[in-house]
Amino acid sequence: MTRDWWKHMVLILGTIIVLAPFYMMVSYSFKSPGEIDRGEGGFFGRQEMMIDPRCVALRQPDRADIEAARARFAGQDDASVQASLLAETEAACSMRPVVFNYSKAFTEAPLVRYLLNGVIVTVSIFLIQIVVALPAAYALAKLKFWGRDAVFGLVLFCLLIPVHAIALPLYIGLAKLGLTNTYAALVVPWTISVFGIFLMRQFFMTVPDDLIDAARMDGMSELAIVWRVMLPTAIPALLAFAIFSVVAHWNDYFWPRIVVTGNRDLFTPPLGLREFKGDGDGSFFGPMMATATVIVTPLIVAFLLAQRRFIEGITLSGMK
Amino acid sequence: MVAVDPSVAADVTKPKADNRQARIGWGLAAPALILMVLILLVPIIVAGVLSFTDYSLGNPGFDWVGLQNYERLFTRSTYEKMFVATFTYVVTVVPISVGLGLGAALLVHSLGRIGDIYKTIYFLPVMATLLAMAIAWEFMLHPTIGMVNRTLEMSCGTWFEVIPFFAGGCAEGFPLWLGDRDYAIWVVCFIGIWQGFGFNMVLFLAGLTSVHRELYHAAEMDGARSGWERFRLVTWPALGPTTVFVVTISCIRAFQVFDTIEAFWPQGGGPNKSAYVMMFAIFEKGIQQNLIGIGSAITMLFLLFVMFLTLIQRWLVERKVHY
Repeated sequence: MTRDWWKHMVLILGTIIVLAPFYMMVSYSFKSPGEIDRGEGGFFGRQEMMIDPRCVALRQPDRADIEAARARFAGQDDASVQASLLAETEAACSMRPVVFNYSKAFTEAPLVRYLLNGVIVTVSIFLIQIVVALPAAYALAKLKFWGRDAVFGLVLFCLLIPVHAIALPLYIGLAKLGLTNTYAALVVPWTISVFGIFLMRQFFMTVPDDLIDAARMDGMSELAIVWRVMLPTAIPALLAFAIFSVVAHWNDYFWPRIVVTGNRDLFTPPLGLREFKGDGDGSFFGPMMATATVIVTPLIVAFLLAQRRFIEGITLSGMK
Repeated sequence: MVAVDPSVAADVTKPKADNRQARIGWGLAAPALILMVLILLVPIIVAGVLSFTDYSLGNPGFDWVGLQNYERLFTRSTYEKMFVATFTYVVTVVPISVGLGLGAALLVHSLGRIGDIYKTIYFLPVMATLLAMAIAWEFMLHPTIGMVNRTLEMSCGTWFEVIPFFAGGCAEGFPLWLGDRDYAIWVVCFIGIWQGFGFNMVLFLAGLTSVHRELYHAAEMDGARSGWERFRLVTWPALGPTTVFVVTISCIRAFQVFDTIEAFWPQGGGPNKSAYVMMFAIFEKGIQQNLIGIGSAITMLFLLFVMFLTLIQRWLVERKVHY
């Protein structure tokens, strides 16, 4: 242990650099605009009550309000009634910075909708990838047919193509079909995962033929074998692939940025955050960092809960 | 099996079974095959064809312009900046993120179970949405309210001022980072390394666990006493295939850098186009400006680079990588 102190020193220095932006993101999501500007307040900020200027501006007492409130402030002139009303509004509009930031994150933009879109897109991509890739992987691993080697060769060739790189022709195709600004546009390019086929095929190669022969004896169709014999045995590989797929598509920014233009209902979480950045002036740093925190949290929490699986999954699926 | 003479049974059923398997095999592979062709192969051909035209979306027709798009890529200064920015990024990020990944993996591995905490922490940036983290970094690097410059300012008035960078910063203010063309691309590189080295570390750790203990003992017997000798003689050769893989995948990911550039400079790829990388160029030319011909030409070059890299990797791995 004492021999290792220098290793800890180096690794702790790395830790500080790695964690700094996370620290700042979460910390700013707690602080009031003033504290962010002046760099005060430690990690959590002082959490003093702050007044939301927009809320006050919206509820500015007008003539009618003053007339209505005259009864409550008997014997006072207009100016002091107005001042009292303003004080009441400010009291109603004041809140803790952390509440302000997170409530703005959810009310200023439909963040729940964005998160839901993220879930819809990532889940449908994964499910379609499985439905397409699993039978193909089974056929390539366990069935003998003319042309099988050619098909597998094609799979190996397609592994060379990063889908992001051919974004432009894909975009043209989708635009020609009138599919931009639809869920389909977000999902379609990812429906085929050559890598998924490859990974599953390698896995199926290790499944003993006897198992499949036995299933055939029982009169199962080949398709039934894929779903009821091969799928259950492939759960570990499938989980690895799921992690890879979900992480990649939840975090993806490039493709949604291309095919979703302007239609807020289809925004995925990163696009929603991007929009926040677009119209946020200085005073909106807090809510923006709150949004960023909300978007980053699901995967980070999942990762912290199931690290071993995640790291195995990413390692395995990294092996292109 | 049923008690039939196997040879006879095989003779009778073989052609039929073969036919059946072929039908089913093609049937099961067909959806994947069709999608592979439509989504991966056809677009490459389309991009290849369009790269010789002046096509733009919405126009009914187009003209063939021959190699004009490619000629532009190699003669105009904007594209020269594109190549410079892309290769600067790749050449900086790949070696450093691979080196740091290897270093971190060796340290973490040598610490045993206690090292796992570092593994977890270093892997966090890999999981986090890069766009969100880019925005967090943007605030860190903010010239007035950012944590980086505030920390640097703390050095003013101390012995740190001996270093010219600090002396200059204290006298005239620390850099604008993202607004300065001398710093912009390096900041993007830094974030790329920050984000990616944890991934490399995990791959190296996976490689390290497969190195047999006996090899170290054998090396020690043969007189390799120092840690460096053991690393050079045992660890490094054993990590050969992992290294080739890590370098390739880092290159491919580095070529595809986009999120940080777009987050920092939505209009134009950095001060004086100093961070105008290929992926951003495809996005700006092909999609925002609807210059599909030139966008396709960049796409084709991009594919060429990436495929070339992967083929080198395959070739190295097939030679089993022994140094």
